[in-house]
Amino acid sequence: MRWTRSLSELAPPALLVVVVGVVGSGTSPARQIDFQTALVSVAIVVALYVFVGNSGVLSFGQISFAAVGGYAAGVMTVPVELKVGTLPALAPLLRDHTIGNLPSLLLAAAFGAVYAALVALPLMRLSGLAAGIATFAVLEITHNILHEWTKIGPGAGVLSLVPETTGMLQATLGALVVMAIAYGYQRTRFGRQLRATREDPAAAQAVGISVHRQRLIAFTLSGGLSGFAGALYVHQIGSLTADQLYLELTFLSLAMLVVGGATSLWGAVVGALAVSGLDSFLGQAESGVNIGFTLNLPTGTRLVAVGAVMALVLVLRPTGITGGREFSLTWLRQLRRKERTA
Amino acid sequence: MVRRRNPKVQVDVIRKTHQEAGMTVRKHGIIAAVLAAVCAAAIVAASSASAAGKPIIIGYPIDKAGNMAPFDGPALAAAGIEISKINKQGGWKGRRLKIITCDTQSSNAAKSKACALDLIGRGAVIGMVTCDVEFAAPATQEFLNKGMLTVAPCIGTDQMGPKRFGAKGKLAFSFGNVAQDEGAAMAEWAYKQKGWRTADLATNNLLAYFKQIVQAFKSRFTQLGGKINGEESYTSFQNDFGNAVSRLNGEKADVIVTSTSFGELPGIVNGLRSLGNNTPILNSWAGDGTYWTGDKPKVTNYFAVTYASIGGDDPNPAVNLLAKQVKAGTGGFVTGAAAIDGILAALKQAGTTKGSALAAAMEKFKKVPTISGNVSFSAKYHSVFGRQYRVIEIENNVLRRVGLVTASSPANIG
Repeated sequence: MRWTRSLSELAPPALLVVVVGVVGSGTSPARQIDFQTALVSVAIVVALYVFVGNSGVLSFGQISFAAVGGYAAGVMTVPVELKVGTLPALAPLLRDHTIGNLPSLLLAAAFGAVYAALVALPLMRLSGLAAGIATFAVLEITHNILHEWTKIGPGAGVLSLVPETTGMLQATLGALVVMAIAYGYQRTRFGRQLRATREDPAAAQAVGISVHRQRLIAFTLSGGLSGFAGALYVHQIGSLTADQLYLELTFLSLAMLVVGGATSLWGAVVGALAVSGLDSFLGQAESGVNIGFTLNLPTGTRLVAVGAVMALVLVLRPTGITGGREFSLTWLRQLRRKERTA
Repeated sequence: MVRRRNPKVQVDVIRKTHQEAGMTVRKHGIIAAVLAAVCAAAIVAASSASAAGKPIIIGYPIDKAGNMAPFDGPALAAAGIEISKINKQGGWKGRRLKIITCDTQSSNAAKSKACALDLIGRGAVIGMVTCDVEFAAPATQEFLNKGMLTVAPCIGTDQMGPKRFGAKGKLAFSFGNVAQDEGAAMAEWAYKQKGWRTADLATNNLLAYFKQIVQAFKSRFTQLGGKINGEESYTSFQNDFGNAVSRLNGEKADVIVTSTSFGELPGIVNGLRSLGNNTPILNSWAGDGTYWTGDKPKVTNYFAVTYASIGGDDPNPAVNLLAKQVKAGTGGFVTGAAAIDGILAALKQAGTTKGSALAAAMEKFKKVPTISGNVSFSAKYHSVFGRQYRVIEIENNVLRRVGLVTASSPANIG
């Protein structure tokens, strides 16, 4: 029964991601980038969901772990012979070694997790607004270090010549792996305890749950998955600057989570895909797109519309499109029952 | 549409007919050969006619509304006008040049990459990219991966080439001036033409271009015998230029040299002037523009080197006309047209649109004339050196050209 329930909750978002991957594979190389971006967004948003969704604590810092992972994977996969010219100030350990695609993804996850754990030790003792602001400080610190320190990366410049290994297949598999781990975690004792602290911290503590420990575990796992997602990102684009994994992506990924529904995996996936789809469509519409008639929107409409949709969802459906619930067939059954009785 | 025929089929048909008619082998052989030759000639003519009509497409991912829009817009407009001129003169080998664009939506990395792929899909054989190597990298890499010649109108560092993009970077060039050359030109003008012997340096650490300009100035200025009195630094968007202004005010010199734009430019100029310091300020192309038009703040004794004077007093009438047509905000617009001139020169020299051949031709450019003056490249510098700079002065908020300078060589800054 438990397995059936797990399957019924995990299969729909997984199927949705696979459908996006399959449909995307049939499009032009240029359009495939939009689909790949959407799938990488799923990985980033689900990683964010692991902490924010389960704990109920807002974090602006998760993209810094994606940045650390992205840089780690990027720097370590640029061929050694190219590093000498393009990254002359790099520390010898980083300059003289290159690793493959899969090890780089795992390395990024490890870096993200370790960094998140170190950050979480002091930060997870905070709550409410203080916790949110502190995670924002982490984002700022990380951004400035990556922007200035040329021993670990390109500094203010661009990290170029990163192998573009995140194609449609890897983006799809990467998103599925992150989703499976996220779902697996939320079904464990730790996940349930953290959710209990989200619903009522006082009651949770009263039954012996350590809020600090549970948040620390989730923050670390989320950091690891964010690092992994950051590696998918850098291998998709093939280059990276510190600004790419900074404020805009932080707010966009939070918007995706809020629009979809912050308290469920289904919500995170739907939100990431819906906002990515809307963003891509409006981006094309700004250059003119034919949908039976030619839709040519003014430049800048994309950002206005995404912001408006987020505001609209918050007003009309504060729990997001999915209501913050996992996918369930129950409502379909209920509908059928009603029809029968009628 | 020309219908192509297979000459072999023609010959077979003719052979069969001739055998049936009892003609001699020699006779039908001659007729077959003639017909085959005619068919082959028709095919060749048809294919060269279609090649002649096929435009050479340049794909240019541009930022329509973001930070790079003020650079991309005028460069694109100038490039378009130059292309019209070239096409009216018959294009290249009867083939027209054509620019197609795609909006990178504020230089979004994924969109830039998608744009490059989209443009390649639409037939682009040459790439053009925006004027900042960080923003340009995603599209540049896609063009380079396809083996296409990729040019930026106005990247001002030595990054658009092998230094940033490895072996594939051999296909990448910029028609911007390399900072080593620009800084050297500033130093030579300051020392030789203005007679300034001491300088204060203020380095903006935000961009490699900003830093390299000041390094190049220092290298050439001291080489000429000039003395550096003080060196300060600041970083755009960090709100730390006030400290630099205070210290610069305390270090007296003949000229204050910096390379900056953004909010720090008016910040530093106003800061110094409000302290009663009227020392000449010398800026790079970053400080060119229309910032000073209008009544406030009052700006005097401010100099910058640039590609073209937008005050209508450029020594090249064609540049003045172009500046008017594109409503230029800085002299950088002319690099869009210069890039097209450079591409045409490379096409003429290489005789093909193949990226490696075009790049090999471009790397050998020595004082090749373009609308922006003579441009040279080398294996080391894939950005322009040896071009003549216009020196502009802002005096009482009026811009005018006060000099011309060409660096004797790029400064060696390592």
